[in-house]
Amino acid sequence: MDVSVSRSGGIGGLRLVWEVDLDREPDRESWEVLLHDIPWDEVPPAPPEPDRFIYRIRCEPHEATLAERQVTGPWRELVDRVRARSEPRRAASGPRRAR
Amino acid sequence: MTRMRHAIVPPYLLARIAAVADERYPIAADAARRSLVRDAPVREWRLRGELPPFAHDRLPSVLPDAPSSPDRRISDAQGSETLPGRLVRREGQPATGDDAVDEAYDGLGDTHRMFDRVFGRDSIDGTGMPLEATVHYGDRYDNAFWDGERMVFGDGDGEIFSGFTNSISVIGHELAHGVTERTANLRYQGQSGALNEHVSDVFGALVEQYTLGQDAGAATWLIGEGIFTDAVEGRALRSMLEPGTAYDDDVLGRDPQPAHYDDYIQTREDNGGVHLNSGIPNRAFALAATALGGFAWEHMGRIWYATLTSGRLAVDTGFHRFAGETVRAASERFGADSRETRAVREAWAAVGVAPEEV
Ligand SMILES: [Zn+2]
Repeated sequence: MDVSVSRSGGIGGLRLVWEVDLDREPDRESWEVLLHDIPWDEVPPAPPEPDRFIYRIRCEPHEATLAERQVTGPWRELVDRVRARSEPRRAASGPRRAR
Repeated sequence: MTRMRHAIVPPYLLARIAAVADERYPIAADAARRSLVRDAPVREWRLRGELPPFAHDRLPSVLPDAPSSPDRRISDAQGSETLPGRLVRREGQPATGDDAVDEAYDGLGDTHRMFDRVFGRDSIDGTGMPLEATVHYGDRYDNAFWDGERMVFGDGDGEIFSGFTNSISVIGHELAHGVTERTANLRYQGQSGALNEHVSDVFGALVEQYTLGQDAGAATWLIGEGIFTDAVEGRALRSMLEPGTAYDDDVLGRDPQPAHYDDYIQTREDNGGVHLNSGIPNRAFALAATALGGFAWEHMGRIWYATLTSGRLAVDTGFHRFAGETVRAASERFGADSRETRAVREAWAAVGVAPEEV
């Protein structure tokens, strides 16, 4: 089972993706406790703010998109933990064009 | 900075400055008054308490060395994500020795000066609202943003980004988000969002050019030059003139900005690619400015500012409508057959955007 955090936006528009495969984590149980607390379906829409980050967080079958200022409480804990456990992959925000 | 004083100030502007600038711009008023001694017809207008008839349409853009009156407040978040942080430098206080604090202070001053001197706009709201900024936000925080009240700057991670206050175009970019919010309020999503980004890049680049006294040919047209560490193969975050060429790095990848409407990027990320698709109008602006030559804030800057503040842009304005409004603003200011209006039309054509008839 994977947890992924994609961060886009920011003044640079640079997208980063962090992924953790829970099956390879030594403390899988504590991850599951944390994931159990995530209010996947209770993220209110937030007006976009110029140059702030946007987080798309996935853990099958769940997915949620959060404005940076909504990443608090268990969301923040999850994001920080995923970031601490993996190296970010840089991903294009759209389809790459041949040049 | 005194080098330009005599070269670029037409007499009618001197008259206007001498007549209206006494209190707020004592240096400019004094300089204008001295110059006017040698210019009898304009002096007579002034003696009658009038502006010359042709002075009304063109706001003073002159005397880049003349001060404006910003009210700056720089706070220090000290590595936390708590805003506003501790107030560390207010208007008129001496440099603190903290580079981020002093760079933000100076950059906001430069941006205020351009908006005030060139476009006649005093601060973000046009009525002198304080310019508030927070620096040292977050832990190795790789970003700068406008939160509706203040500009916020991170220090960068030290590996890719070396801090966000050391680029004047970034500071101007953030302050311009405030101006857009108070004027056209372009919705930060899809094409109107890319235009919002574009407007911030335009004024960010213009502040840098105005402060350095660069004409369009000498300008870099880069946004965020100097914010990457030396380890990054790249010049800046974006190139307005050559979108897609700002960096090409093993870690960062290649600058993904499109330079032509045919390459518009549809994506769910980044509010619909607002930082990507801004490359298209950015290139149009830089192409027109470099085709015209001279100081970009004098012609293209005025056209874009007039467009932004015309009251004619809907919050969801798209590229074609925006292009049409810039052609209209150019025609109103410079004439439908002027080289300025032609340059604007040709630049939009070059990036594949046909201006809507408005
Ligand atoms: Zn922006």
